[in-house]
Amino acid sequence: MSIFANKSEKIFIYLFFAIGLFIPLFLEGNTFYINKFSTIIILAIFVMSLDYLVGRTGLITLGHAMFYGLGGYIFTILAPEYEAVNFWVYTFYVMLISGFIALIVGLIVLRTSGIYMIMITLALAQMTFYFFADSIEYGGQDGLFIYIKPETSIFGLSFLDLDNETHFYYLCLLSLFNCFVFFKIIMNSSFGRVIDALKENPDRATALGYNIFHFRLIAYVLASSLAAYAGYLFALQFGFVNPSMMSWDVSATALVMALLGGLGSIYGAIIGSFVYEGLHYFIEHLTEYWMFFMGALIIVLVLTLKYGMAGFLNNLSGGKRS
Amino acid sequence: MDTSLFLVQLLNGVQYGLLLFLIASGLTLVFGVMGILNLAHGSMYMIGAYLAYYFTTLTDSFLLAFIISGTIALVIGIIIERFLIIHLYKRDHLDQVLLTVGLIFIFNATQSYVWGNDPLGVEVPELLSGSIRLTDIVEYPVYRLFISLLCLVVAASMYFTINKTRLGMMIRAGESDRAMVENLGVDISKLFTIVFAIGVFLASLAGIVSAPIVSLVPGMGEHVLISCFVVVVIGGLGSIKGAFVAALIVGIVDTYASVLLPQISSMSIYLLMALILLVKPQGLFKN
Repeated sequence: MSIFANKSEKIFIYLFFAIGLFIPLFLEGNTFYINKFSTIIILAIFVMSLDYLVGRTGLITLGHAMFYGLGGYIFTILAPEYEAVNFWVYTFYVMLISGFIALIVGLIVLRTSGIYMIMITLALAQMTFYFFADSIEYGGQDGLFIYIKPETSIFGLSFLDLDNETHFYYLCLLSLFNCFVFFKIIMNSSFGRVIDALKENPDRATALGYNIFHFRLIAYVLASSLAAYAGYLFALQFGFVNPSMMSWDVSATALVMALLGGLGSIYGAIIGSFVYEGLHYFIEHLTEYWMFFMGALIIVLVLTLKYGMAGFLNNLSGGKRS
Repeated sequence: MDTSLFLVQLLNGVQYGLLLFLIASGLTLVFGVMGILNLAHGSMYMIGAYLAYYFTTLTDSFLLAFIISGTIALVIGIIIERFLIIHLYKRDHLDQVLLTVGLIFIFNATQSYVWGNDPLGVEVPELLSGSIRLTDIVEYPVYRLFISLLCLVVAASMYFTINKTRLGMMIRAGESDRAMVENLGVDISKLFTIVFAIGVFLASLAGIVSAPIVSLVPGMGEHVLISCFVVVVIGGLGSIKGAFVAALIVGIVDTYASVLLPQISSMSIYLLMALILLVKPQGLFKN
């Protein structure tokens, strides 16, 4: 069984990763653009986790950036300041701890749904934002710096040097690929089918004996810890964390990107992130007031593009909607 | 904390709570009647404050600025409902969130284009600039009492409008059964426009009257919006009575927390919200 839902997805994914592999060769030495691509790929991981959560479970969160920020903070707080730690070990720690936090937060927010859940996730994310912005211990508004980047050896063998932009780029690309495959496997598993059923008709799923709350909680924890992983990569790339990573507009922008790509399509998250960031980069160069045009674009998008770019591509290639 | 400080903080808390009510009531009214969550509600607060600044500087009269800004806010409300919100009635929550986020972006960019990013201030109108002596040593600014009084007047007139007038009857009917109201021959689209414009007006009104006591900075709208969310979540979404009670609780808790527990002051209202949600997931006054 193919993991692809339709032909356009298959073509897009092959093309994207094939081009992605060779991008650094074309940009030889131009670290600015290699870094830019790494940043967008990290963003795509974050958006993908949100895309799964919102698009597949139908639960709308406006506080996803909370976990993005927490990923960075968890690493920075745990790792000793002047010692290189192991990247893979800390990946495990970051995802485990953020997953545990997501479990507790999920127990509160998943008691509600719809508009209530939107407001509560936003308020809790804002609470975390203020917690870090006001804490002297964690650097307040300025955040914390990462002085030594982790090393990446597995059993004494090291392939990647995180201080090297190209190496870091490939790490991000690999992470995005793994993330995509992970979500695809989940969607095609029996767990994923139950999640789809819950979105389609919660009452019927309950009648069939599934505990909606448990399934939603698992999806919430999975998506949140992947968001934290993206935040961890972001912190490593820039060498610092600060509260603005979890501000409300990060969550809102990620939702816009997911919608732009096509909610619930997973690969749409990659399209959405690249298209949005590309437009952002372009408009920002034209005018300081780029937010005005992004705002107008979002409104037009909501009113016109119902199934996102993924749906648009799918229509072009003559496929059915998944 | 001695008694006089306690009293002043209580007055501050009530004043802040009443102001929050003014904003939250608009949010909850629009949601209750129209089923729309307007995230750009906080932006209207911001726009109100900046308009008040602009027209006070232009006309040298706060009263004139008050009237002009209020009218502009009403017009903005009507335009937004007629051209944008009208497309959302049959859409899901996500589209509402995204469209109103787009509006926030537009309002923020407009604010930064027209007024810049430096903090601005408005002078307290001369007539209300004095202080009242509460006890031998404690004074309280008249303007803050004026805000409280104004908010109370608005709350009372809202109560009267909703419970005693024809418009209020339609609003109440719209809250309980939209389709039925339409079938009974009420022009629901006109009602929606009126309600949305009132909601926007209430937020802007709060912005206008608080302009002299806060500093006008970019992002002030979002901050207020999130406090309002806490208020309506605690009070129960769609319930104006709930918003009133919750706004007072939030105002008082927030004010005392910043005096008594400065370490967690900015988190206090969110903790309060989380606690209440654990006990009552639908808020104190479920509509």
